[in-house]
This record gives sequence, C-alpha cells and structure tokens, in this order.
Amino acid sequence: MASADSQISKPSGPFDIVATYNELLHSDPDLTMPIAAIEALVLLLTHSPSSTISETLDLLEKSTTHLKKSIPNPIGLSAGTDLFQRYLITTLQRPGQLGPAGDFNAIRAHLLSNSRLFIRRAKESRDKIAAFGRGFVRDGSTVLTNGGSRVVASLLQQAADEKGGPSAVRFNVIYVLSSPKGDIENPTAEPEGMETVRALRTTGVPVATIPESAVAYSLGKADVVIVGAEGVVENGGIVSRMGTYQIGLLAKAMGKPFYVVAESHKFVRLYPLGQYDLPIEQRVIDFKTQEDVNAAKQQQTTATNTSETPRRLRSEFHPDAVDFTPPHLISALITDSGVLTPSAVSEELIKIWF
Amino acid sequence: MPSHSVPLTPGLASFLKTLKTNPIDTSIENLISLLKRRQIRHSRSCATATAHLLRSVISACRTSDASKLIERVQSVGRRLIAAQPREMVVGNIVRRVLGLIRDEAEDDRDGDFTLSEAGSESQPQTPRPGDDPFDRSVSKPISSLATHPVSMFSLLSHPDSETSLPGTPATASPSGRLPGHTPNKDIRAEVLDGINEIIDELGQVDDQIAAYALDHIHSNEIILTHTSSTTVQKFLLKAAAKRKFTVIHAESYPNNHEATHATVSGKAPDDDEIISTESFQKPLIAHGITVILIPDSAVFALMSRVNKVILGTHSVLANGGLVAAAGTRVIARAAKVHQTPVVVVSGVYKLSPVYPFDFDSLIEYGDSSKVIGYEDGDLVDQIDVQNPLYDYVPAELVDLYITNLGGHAPSYLYRIVSDHYRKEDISF
Repeated sequence: MASADSQISKPSGPFDIVATYNELLHSDPDLTMPIAAIEALVLLLTHSPSSTISETLDLLEKSTTHLKKSIPNPIGLSAGTDLFQRYLITTLQRPGQLGPAGDFNAIRAHLLSNSRLFIRRAKESRDKIAAFGRGFVRDGSTVLTNGGSRVVASLLQQAADEKGGPSAVRFNVIYVLSSPKGDIENPTAEPEGMETVRALRTTGVPVATIPESAVAYSLGKADVVIVGAEGVVENGGIVSRMGTYQIGLLAKAMGKPFYVVAESHKFVRLYPLGQYDLPIEQRVIDFKTQEDVNAAKQQQTTATNTSETPRRLRSEFHPDAVDFTPPHLISALITDSGVLTPSAVSEELIKIWF
Repeated sequence: MPSHSVPLTPGLASFLKTLKTNPIDTSIENLISLLKRRQIRHSRSCATATAHLLRSVISACRTSDASKLIERVQSVGRRLIAAQPREMVVGNIVRRVLGLIRDEAEDDRDGDFTLSEAGSESQPQTPRPGDDPFDRSVSKPISSLATHPVSMFSLLSHPDSETSLPGTPATASPSGRLPGHTPNKDIRAEVLDGINEIIDELGQVDDQIAAYALDHIHSNEIILTHTSSTTVQKFLLKAAAKRKFTVIHAESYPNNHEATHATVSGKAPDDDEIISTESFQKPLIAHGITVILIPDSAVFALMSRVNKVILGTHSVLANGGLVAAAGTRVIARAAKVHQTPVVVVSGVYKLSPVYPFDFDSLIEYGDSSKVIGYEDGDLVDQIDVQNPLYDYVPAELVDLYITNLGGHAPSYLYRIVSDHYRKEDISF
C-alpha cells in the first residue's frame, strides 16, 4: 500500500476518506471492501492526531457514517469498519497492557504500523480457506460457480494445483458468467470472472462458461455449487452478486450442495429479512410506461449536452447489483475459521459485539 | 459380532483383558486387526477400546514432554483410523485425547510464566463441590478453544498477543481443573486422569441420555424406532417406568433383525460384545408397554399414526447429518412427509468433527449373504447383491439431537464440536 500511501499523504487539505477508500480499492485488485475500509480508517487515524479515546471513536464514527453514505453499496465495507471499531473498543476495555490503564498510544501505534500486516493476513486467509475448501472439490467432480470472487478463484486454483496438497484434483468447472458490464447490447468490458476462467484453463482445468439463463439446465451436470460472497449476514445468509440467489434456489431444488467461501472479516451485523430488506437502494425492478421512457430519453439528451456521464441513467440494470441468499439454501460456509454452518455466523459476530 | 461365545473370542472383552498383560505394540496390532476384521464394531465398543488403548499407550510412554506425547498418540491414532476409516468414533476419541494433552501442556505453560494475564481470566477454576469427575468431563468445553484466536479479530490483533484475544468472555473456561498444580506437574498423570474421565463418560452416556426421556415421551404417544440400539432402549425404558405409551419397532432386516427381535422379546442377546449390563435388563414389554414389531416396508404406512420417531445412530457429523443403520433414511424421509418429529439419541462421543465431503464414502457394505443366502446358488450367480450397512441422513431430516449434554438442534452441533475438539486436531 506504499504507493497509495504516498499519494494520499501529500498535504492536500482535509483528509477525504471516500476518495482514499476508492483509491485503495482500485490500486489493488486483490483487496476486498472490508479491508479497504479498514485501511482507509487507519490512514484517517494517521492523518488526525487525536490523543483521547473518545475523540478517536467520535472521529471514526463520523467518518464511517460519511463513508457509508457516499458508497452506493456499503454492506461489504461496513463489515470492515464495524470490525475496526469493535476491535478498538474491546481492546480499550480489556485489562492488560493495551487496556485503559495502559497507553492509548500503544494501540494507535500498533494499528498504524501494522496496516500492511492486516492486508497480508487478509490475503493469507484466502489460502487458509483454500486449504479448508480443498476437500469440497473431489476428484472427477464438476463445480458450478459464478461471479468474480477472488476466494473462489484461489480455492479452485489451489485444488487444481499440484503444490497445494498431496495431489492435484481433476475436476471440471461450469462458470456462470453474468451479463457483461455496461450496456447489454454493446458491452464495454468482458464479464466478471473471465480472468479466473482463463487462469483455470491455463492450469489445465476444463471450464465451461454458461450464461445465467442456463444455470438450471447445467446444474444437472454439476456435483457441487461453490460461490463467493460480498458480505455474510448475521443469520448466515449471504449478500452476493446478483444471480447467486437463484443459483441457490435451483441448487436446493435439485439437491446439490451449495457452499459459500468467504473470509470471516466479511461477516457483517445485518439481519435482512428478504431481498428488499437490504439497506441499500437498487433500482433493479423499475416499472415504466412509454411516457416514462420518453421522459427518460429527453433527460438523457439534455444530459449528454451537458457532457455528464449518462451511463447510470441509461443502463437498465446496474452491474454491481447484489441479492440476498437466505441461510436455508446454504449447506456450509467455508471460512478461515473453519467450515461453519450458517447458524455459526451469528456466534462469531456475537463474540466481537458483546 | 461373534455369534458363538467361546470364552475368548476376539472382541472387546478379550482385548481389554489382554491389554494389561500384552506389550503395548502387540495391543496396538491387536486392536488394528480387530477393527480390520470388524470383530469390534459397535460405536461404543470401538470408543472404549480406543480409549483404553490410548491410556496404555500414554502410560507406557516414559516422557512428560507434551509434543512427544502428541506425536505418539497421533501416530497410533493414524494407524487405528487407517484400519477402519468409517468407524469415526475411533478418530473422535483420539482427537479428544490429543485435545487433553494440548490442554495440559497449555495449562502447564500458563503455570510457568504469566502473572500478567492470569489474574483476570484463567484463575476462577475451583471445582464445584458435589461435582463428580464424570460430570465435569462432560460439561467441560475444551477451555482453550475459547481463548483460541478463532475470533474475527485475528485479522487486526497484535502479532504477539494473539493467544489472549478479546472477545473471549471470562466464563469461557470453567474447565474445572484442580487448582494448585505445580509448574512442573506430570502432564502424563493429568492426561491419564482425563482419559479415565472419557472412559467413565462412555460407560454412563446412555443413562445420561435416558435422563431426558420424560421430557420427550408423553403418555399414550406412539413412538417409532429402529434397530436394537441400547441407547434408544434405555431411553424408552426410562420413560416406561413412569408413562404408558406404544412402541412400533421396525425390525431392520437383514442386518439387525435378530438382535431387534431379541430386544423386543426380552431374550438376552447372545452377544458378549454388548457389555453384560444390558443382558439382564427387562424388556419394554415387561413394563407393560405395547411393542409392535413391523417389517421395514411398513414404516411409511404406519407413519401417519406415529407421534415421534426416535432413532439411534452410528456416528453424527459436524454438519448435523448422521450415519446410521441402513433404513434410517427411509424412516426419516417418511417422517418428514408426515411432519413427524425425528429425535436422534446419541452420545457426544459419536459426534465427529469431520465434515462429510463425500457421502458415498461413509457407507459401509456388509455381507451380501444376509440378503440372499449362498445356498441359492442359481440366483447368486446371476445377480449383483448389495447390502449397505449404513445410511447417510442429511441434517434437514432430523429435528432434534439428544446427547448426554441435552437436546440440540442439528444446526447447533457445530458448537458442541468446537467445544470438544481442538481445531488443530481435526485433520491430524
């Protein structure tokens, strides 16, 4: 993170946490949202020489709220900010050298000096998950997966890799590719996950790519479904790339095991009751009459005249949309603290909150 | 299951008898071949044999170095598991013994240094009065799991303070260890004590489970069960002492029907492997309970009248599924269709931390002559006869597990697993 660090630390007025967060996310494709959020908060602390506990917590609280407000989908990052905040509070309350009797600066120094360590640990946890998850990919099996999850990619990669374990697993992958980014008619970028597909093919794993509409058709040939997640919520369900929910439903209907791989820092204290209960606004279902369409077109032309980016208005379907997969569809969560049942998630969360 | 009872048929009894006299390596070989030949096959017999063997192994091991003990137990454990990978209780007992050694080693280390943290968390561990040692061993979560950095904080924690992380409530270690150990106490003796507790637990587990019977069996209920599991029988007998109910007993042909018939009619089973306490037990009918013996094929037809299904099991897996005698899944499935609650009774020792990656590999196949005798030569020549001994029952077909710790939902079993086994031992 040295590059990002140096860019940000130039004395350019007040510290902008949103910009920092976005910059961090873009600078390292391997960085997850929670970790980027933690990094941003660490940098924030570096920039603000607060010396009392309540001042620091207040600052964190404010910046977190600001950050959450300015990001369209803050579920992933809130896992990171919550974790950071809770860590700080619990460390302060705990008796010991870092506790209230101890030196507040010691904690500060620890957090500030170890940001690289956090990132390294976060990446290591992927390897750990891959080690746990290897057993789920059996010889001769076919794995169905979707999205661009880096954890899934590393799990499959490691399973296919000779070095990852006693012997390479020979398996096939069915990769569900979401509709490409940008306009459906003229895609601006290749669909998410193509990179993983290429990497797997290079390792010698036969990969079939299918559109989302072919999931039900293809599931009969799959033995197991493995997906990634953006956030794991308290009831054990997951918030993940749009399309995961339907794969979960289909897998359940066909009696195929549905596994989720996610790092434990993605656990987020959220209890959605259904698809429309997520604390984010997504205009996935957008009813329109011809009148509305015409009005939108008009608006669009004026927008192009004022040379603003009209993409968001034009695209009917936001590529970053997420859906919620309820826990009863999930067979198990493969995390860096072991293979958990969905109900174990709340316990991990309770451990840090109470 | 030796059917003729010559004084020293190879089995649990003879194994335990010779364990004291034989040199340790002979005993290990002995148990391995017993497991391989399936001369020991009930879950509890396997568990008891393993626990006794490990006790001898540790007492023969003249070292108090924890890592050497762990290594030794691991190597013996690996051989035992390799001998009979489907007998998961063997692995469970080995893992629990490993956990014991690790605990003792950590306690020891705590005793050596640390006055800094100990005052706050790890001290209030006086044994409660009136606790028998058995009770402690059961209710004791392996203390260090709680202090183990499984917490989500492991990401942020200080590199050298990892073992004493926040998020571990002070109540997490009621380990009930005797206080006042000297820094250089004998780990071996403590571990042997622990193994004795495990052996005690194995002896008393059925009675403990049976203590919950009255909560689950009510007057005039119709209970369906399967196989001649002693855990289930004791459970029913306990309720029969107070209440009147009806038992429908599926006979579990062809692997267990003889034992089932014997259980129902109360004829002492000629099976010296099931330890003698059961043989003088009065059958349910002697308590005035109506017992209806049915063939397995009638289960679905009768299920609509059944109030509760109570099943025994071979082993329970970490995801809440279970491996039980063939025919169990049919019953569980039928119960699901009729919305009849399914209760599984099982000792905690049967609970395995292994996640079932591959269900097919869990199923053991038995003697096909039980399905079609070899005297029916014409038929045997022409067809392929299979006799699976076990069924895998997925977690969603089970409503409740009753263990010696109480009743648990299948989704809660992960918690009991993490209380009883150390993470580092799950795949040793």
